[in-house]
Amino acid sequence: MAAAAGAVTAAAAAAAATAAEPAAAVGPGEEAGAGSLCPGPLRLARLPLARVKALVKADPDVSLASQEAVYILARAAELFVETIAKDAYVYAQQGKRKTLQRKDLDNAIEAIDEFAFLEGTLD
Amino acid sequence: MAERPEDLNLPNAVITRIIKEALPDGVNISKEARSAISRAASVFVLYATSCANNFAMKGKRKTLNAGDVLSAMEEMEFQRFVAPLKESLEVYRREQKGKKEARKDKDKKADSEEQDKSREEENDDDDERMEEEEQNEEEEVSSGRWWS
Repeated sequence: MAAAAGAVTAAAAAAAATAAEPAAAVGPGEEAGAGSLCPGPLRLARLPLARVKALVKADPDVSLASQEAVYILARAAELFVETIAKDAYVYAQQGKRKTLQRKDLDNAIEAIDEFAFLEGTLD
Repeated sequence: MAERPEDLNLPNAVITRIIKEALPDGVNISKEARSAISRAASVFVLYATSCANNFAMKGKRKTLNAGDVLSAMEEMEFQRFVAPLKESLEVYRREQKGKKEARKDKDKKADSEEQDKSREEENDDDDERMEEEEQNEEEEVSSGRWWS
């Protein structure tokens, strides 16, 4: 797998450890699962940088990416996940459901311009 | 191997946690929805990378930098991400700087014993060089080159 082949940075190791034990706090700036206590921007990325790097490298036009670029992409992906989850949840609420379903996501993608790039990619 | 880029997934546990923290307590997420969001996140990274790369190429650079990613966010109409991303970048830079200095101190400590021996010789060399520089400075000043 690409993740195994890629170099594992310290941040990636910390993020992986955090993913395995949600209750344990790892590293400076990271808090155990209680992300809501600390404002978003001050958290370090939870997505493993090695995996994000693998995605970046998958682009044949990209030669090199700085560590900072990979880190910012990871953070951006997190913000994206938060955003799309919230936007999809609106539809679940409309359907009086407390469980987010695939169709809520599809509705959000169709309705919101910024998600247009996702059309046709999730199947 | 021949994996499609979209198949490079981000870890489910982390994706799930991010989703749960974004939503109110008591809200659940179906497996299908979670996996679709995970896939969407991968597509997002691929799209953002491609977009950022255009900015790098425009700047005649071969290395994608953080600025390119921020420009990509604006281009992709995710301007609202830019401010929090800039803050995260500051935190990240500070952390990296701290790590670098910690490593430097560690190396200094390890090398200090070896350096003690050669330090005397180095000092002599430095003194000579400094004297030369001072002489040069005096010459330049007197010829008035600084003000020309």
